[in-house]
Amino acid sequence: MNPFAKVLLCTTSLLAAIVVLPSAIFASVDPTTVYARAFALLAAEPYVEKGFHVREDYWAGDLASGERKAVRQQLFKGNEYWFWLGTEVDHAKVSVHIYNSDGKLAEQPDSWAKGHLAAAHIIPKTTGSYFIIVSVEESPAARTHWALAYGFR
Amino acid sequence: MVLFSKRLNSIVAAVFGLALCAHGAQAPQHVNINQLSTTVEDVVVPLPNEIFGALNKLGAVNWKEHVRSDEEPNFTERPRIALLLGTVIADGFIAVQAEDAPAVKDIGQRVLALAKGIGVGNSITPHAKAIIDAADKRNWANVRQELDRTQNSVQQAMNEVHDEKLSQLVSLGGWLRGTEVLTSVVKQHFSNDGAELLHQPDLLTYFQTRLQAMSEFNLPIVHQIQDALVEVKPLINIGNARISAESVKKVNEITTRLGNDIIKKD
Repeated sequence: MNPFAKVLLCTTSLLAAIVVLPSAIFASVDPTTVYARAFALLAAEPYVEKGFHVREDYWAGDLASGERKAVRQQLFKGNEYWFWLGTEVDHAKVSVHIYNSDGKLAEQPDSWAKGHLAAAHIIPKTTGSYFIIVSVEESPAARTHWALAYGFR
Repeated sequence: MVLFSKRLNSIVAAVFGLALCAHGAQAPQHVNINQLSTTVEDVVVPLPNEIFGALNKLGAVNWKEHVRSDEEPNFTERPRIALLLGTVIADGFIAVQAEDAPAVKDIGQRVLALAKGIGVGNSITPHAKAIIDAADKRNWANVRQELDRTQNSVQQAMNEVHDEKLSQLVSLGGWLRGTEVLTSVVKQHFSNDGAELLHQPDLLTYFQTRLQAMSEFNLPIVHQIQDALVEVKPLINIGNARISAESVKKVNEITTRLGNDIIKKD
């Protein structure tokens, strides 16, 4: 696929991601969170085609550059998970990593970060609580809104 | 819409940015969990099918025997309806596992009736229709997604009117029904990996904390669940040890008892 076609496809996907967000979200959530979530869903889209069920529920917040936050989540051995982080802030750099309850990095090596999108992949070795750490590495904004979605198969 | 248009330019620019190459993110190999002072308080409760999917990978499960199609009584207390709604949505996931289209369609209607009972029917109508359509086409992935959307929309609608506690009861009802079926399956064909799926101590603590803050819901069922969670906790919160067949059986007895209490009138 040529680069223009790729960009066109991505643009269409992002707009589609915004359109399919439940209307209730627009009614009750800060618009920046809606956009941040749309970017997280954009990152998730290729994985849906691979059979991942992307949860409707998600986490959101805002961070200053260099700040991080931890989300605690129950994961089940036998499943495979991806966590997708997005922000709407141009030129921001974000990251997401997964640690087990002992604080040991537990993600797969194909986890990635790409500007204002990042994703972490885990195939849990045990059932229990894990920590998903989201951080804003750099951002031109004083506070950078973020949204974290996850999917499993 | 104005905001949407303003943001469109930056979205398109951002998507152009995706042409940049992805890179492997460097992360510390170890973090001190106790020093993570900034933890997000929001909890996303796993869906029943998240657990059922893991269970399926351990061996074939006869999901049909867990499909429930009893008619529930009409409750007037909103907390009872919320608990029942969570249970019925979980029943929807079970019916999907069993690929039982008539049961899924019936559950779609019941979900809608219960949602109306707590005043959030409008936000559920399109999902109920989508569930029924997808069941007709036996498109199980779509049914699962719509059940997830249903639960999410119910909770969003409740949160909008500051009924967060009812929203938490929907999650709790689903979790209890999911745990009842999980323990029933593992009890029949015990395996350590199956029993390990019960290792959810933080989730249990989350529900206990939320229930403690619901003093205004002075209903026998709420107290029964509180007492039951106290019983369940030591059975599943055992650190790195294995959860025994006896513990699985006890958790099944407790959650089955609660499940019956949730669907029956006092």
